[in-house]
Amino acid sequence: MIEVKNLVKYYGDKKAVNNITFSVGEGEILGFLGPNGAGKSTTMNILTGYISMTGGEVRICGIDILDDPIGAKRSIGYLPEQPPLYPEMTVREYLSFVCELKGVSDIKTEIDDIAKKTGLKDVISRRVGNLSKGYKQRTGLAAALVGDPKVLILDEPTVGLDPNQIIEIRELIKELGKEHTVILSSHILQEISAVSDKILIINKGRSVAFDTPENILRSAGAESLEDAFIKLTVKEELR
Amino acid sequence: MKAIFKRELRSYFSSMLGYIFLTMFLALTGILFWLNNISFGVASVKNFFSLLTSWAVFVLPMLTMRLFAEDRKLKTDQLLITAPVSVRSIVLGKFFAAGTMVIGALAVTFIYVIVIAFYGDVNWAETISCYIGFALLCGVVLSIGSFMSALTESQIVAAISTYAILIFTVFLGNIAAAFNGVIQSVLLWLSPVDRYLDFAMGILDPSALVYYISLTLLFLFFTVNVIERRRFS
Repeated sequence: MIEVKNLVKYYGDKKAVNNITFSVGEGEILGFLGPNGAGKSTTMNILTGYISMTGGEVRICGIDILDDPIGAKRSIGYLPEQPPLYPEMTVREYLSFVCELKGVSDIKTEIDDIAKKTGLKDVISRRVGNLSKGYKQRTGLAAALVGDPKVLILDEPTVGLDPNQIIEIRELIKELGKEHTVILSSHILQEISAVSDKILIINKGRSVAFDTPENILRSAGAESLEDAFIKLTVKEELR
Repeated sequence: MKAIFKRELRSYFSSMLGYIFLTMFLALTGILFWLNNISFGVASVKNFFSLLTSWAVFVLPMLTMRLFAEDRKLKTDQLLITAPVSVRSIVLGKFFAAGTMVIGALAVTFIYVIVIAFYGDVNWAETISCYIGFALLCGVVLSIGSFMSALTESQIVAAISTYAILIFTVFLGNIAAAFNGVIQSVLLWLSPVDRYLDFAMGILDPSALVYYISLTLLFLFFTVNVIERRRFS
């Protein structure tokens, strides 16, 4: 579903992403782990076509993102780190705009479905700008779900939420993972280990581990994912 | 493109901006109509439009300052650029929304022409060519405004830099007068306001039409490029 080969991104002289290679199969959830500034958001922005890479190759559902960007974007739903919301619109207006943008034909049914899935029913006619952070996050997630894309890319979907909301969103992601291929980033380790089939740990733009959670623990000789994370990222820093 | 166009148009009215623009534009045209036509009893709209060309620069950037700067500030550009639409259709959708506001406002001013028609003889050729010329001039102004808005994430910077360029172009004719020879011809050739003079005389000069349309397209092209290029930086 998603193939990334030797991805490189320079910001000026700075190498933000350094030769990352990974792939995610259909119906898999990939947890994307790394300290702040490791290049998680940059990688996600490249996968979704928001920014372009300096080198390497990205294929979404077999479509090269450089050859046919619009075709590739059709199969992606993206929730960026800061949900891209228009504060002056109501939730319904906003979702309806996203539906039109993505070319959804039956807008009313689509919005009703997604609002039900993401728990937005009660706030559907409120202005986005007046919503709490949790509901804003859900509205962003709802926008990503519009058009039922095969691939979901979620950048820190639970950041800023309270514990109850975190559990709800986590359940939702698990649920979504049954039908969609999901990449989700976080620096919260429990979250990643709770939902992911595979984990990619990056540090300073470099991939330091890419495997199932169990194998990462085994190869790092660690007892918990937290331990493995520290071992892998600190080891990198000592180099 | 349609989705972007609709959202942009609606957002003019969900913020104060659309109302402020219409109020200022209609107040301005009302005053100019009174001064040029009613108080002197003149039936020609030539002077009305000639004055409007220099005053319109102060209201039009209101429509464009928000277009791209706001999306960058709110990070909603991430939604637009990662959606399955091209940058070109994003830019066109926004440009046409601003254009529709201008056409709407211009349509209201047609009331003045009807008023004139009741009490005097309207020179229709001149009136229509004034309208076409002014609408094309607005197209240039809006595309320059879009370009400036795409360069920054601050609406204020977008508006002020657009004002700066427009004020310069309004005075380009006067600046040209200080020179002579080739420089003068080049400056006059460049000046969008001087190009308008033909329209004011009721002449639909193809070269002026081509000039306005190409200048509009050029700045829209620059706008698309600025946005595309940012993805690679």
